[in-house]
Amino acid sequence: MTKKELVQMLEEIVEADPDTLTGEELIEDLEGWDSLAVVNFIALVDENFGITLSPEKIMNSKTVNELVSLLDGYIK
Amino acid sequence: MAITKVSNIRLAGIVGAVPEPVRTVQDCTEYFDEKEVLKISQSTGVKRWHVAPSHVCVSDLCHTATERLLAELDWSRDSIDLLIFISQGPDYILPATGCILQSRLGLSKQCAAFDINLGCSGYVYGLWLIAHMLSSGKLNRALLLVGDTASKTVSHLDRSAALLFGDAGAATAIERCEEERSMTFVFGTDGTGAKNLIIPAGGFRYRRNKSSGIPKERENGNIRSDEQLFMDGAEIFAFTLREVSPMLKTVLKEAVWSADDVDAFVFHQANKFIIEYLAKRMKLPIEKVPMSLENYGNTSSASIPLTMVHTLSDKLRNESLKIVMAGFGVGYSWGACTLSCGPMVMPEIIILPENKKETDMKGQ
Repeated sequence: MTKKELVQMLEEIVEADPDTLTGEELIEDLEGWDSLAVVNFIALVDENFGITLSPEKIMNSKTVNELVSLLDGYIK
Repeated sequence: MAITKVSNIRLAGIVGAVPEPVRTVQDCTEYFDEKEVLKISQSTGVKRWHVAPSHVCVSDLCHTATERLLAELDWSRDSIDLLIFISQGPDYILPATGCILQSRLGLSKQCAAFDINLGCSGYVYGLWLIAHMLSSGKLNRALLLVGDTASKTVSHLDRSAALLFGDAGAATAIERCEEERSMTFVFGTDGTGAKNLIIPAGGFRYRRNKSSGIPKERENGNIRSDEQLFMDGAEIFAFTLREVSPMLKTVLKEAVWSADDVDAFVFHQANKFIIEYLAKRMKLPIEKVPMSLENYGNTSSASIPLTMVHTLSDKLRNESLKIVMAGFGVGYSWGACTLSCGPMVMPEIIILPENKKETDMKGQ
């Protein structure tokens, strides 16, 4: 999976329009980002990368780029 | 990982009981945005659940279920050697609710009775303990009584719990038998997760005090007191992903069963999202993974027996099914077992009328 595909996945989870996330957004400003979105994100990462992200690390990510960087080494 | 096997034990019957009053997700729109409520409900799969009136404890649900179970089985009360009550909603801090139930049920004074404090994993633990205790050869019949009344501990202003948990009790009759009927059990524990599903106040570590019962605003605008249930749903989900699939693989391997051999995977009814994801990850056909969440919610230790009665009773009354059970949650604590069940006694789920008064101790 590429970084772009991961961001697209995130756009689906937070119900944002396609190709609208630049990476600079603050996670807490994303309208659809709630505890269900966190669970969905963990599930999709588990399914696609075979790793279980720690919710704590997810919550500590401030921007979309930081969130994506949790998968450095896994994304192309 | 704790792994054991035991044989020559059968489940003779299961009866589930719920209190009459029902709450629906629609009722929750009084406190939360309707769109949010529907989104949560779509994810959890819960549409309605039963709520115990203030005078009804889970022991009352278990008592009603057991009376019906003993009548259906025609078991004499003197033939019961062991009663285990597994719940996080005891009648009192002390004595053990199991002792009170021994008296209410009119069981023999020679009967051993005690409580265990476990939730989601409790049913599998109960079967494990009883199966091994009966296999000692000295005891013949046992009752496993499980359940919780989470409604008494959940804040209706906390969206992480208010739309999920239902109240229920279940009674299971277990006895030694001539047939081999092998059972395989696997358990695990990770107490580092204790803080993620907890009622902080009211025990001996954090005694109830003037402020512990005062509701306060917490994460995501949820409001609850320290005497109410806190659940970090994301942490619980991550724990489930880490531990439950490996546990299921281990129990199947130890039992020398393949997933294809299994008629039903009866999971603790945590929520629909978790169960469907587990099924997907284990590549289990979803029709082999029954659910009762829509009507009963997450009923803690009662969810496995309640789901069996709700979805499998037509079969289990008449035939034997190969079943894998898995309980996982509060603790963190998890357990799974493989067993053959049925034919067995399995009446419809009992609805305890709202106005029925129960007396918890004879003569009082």
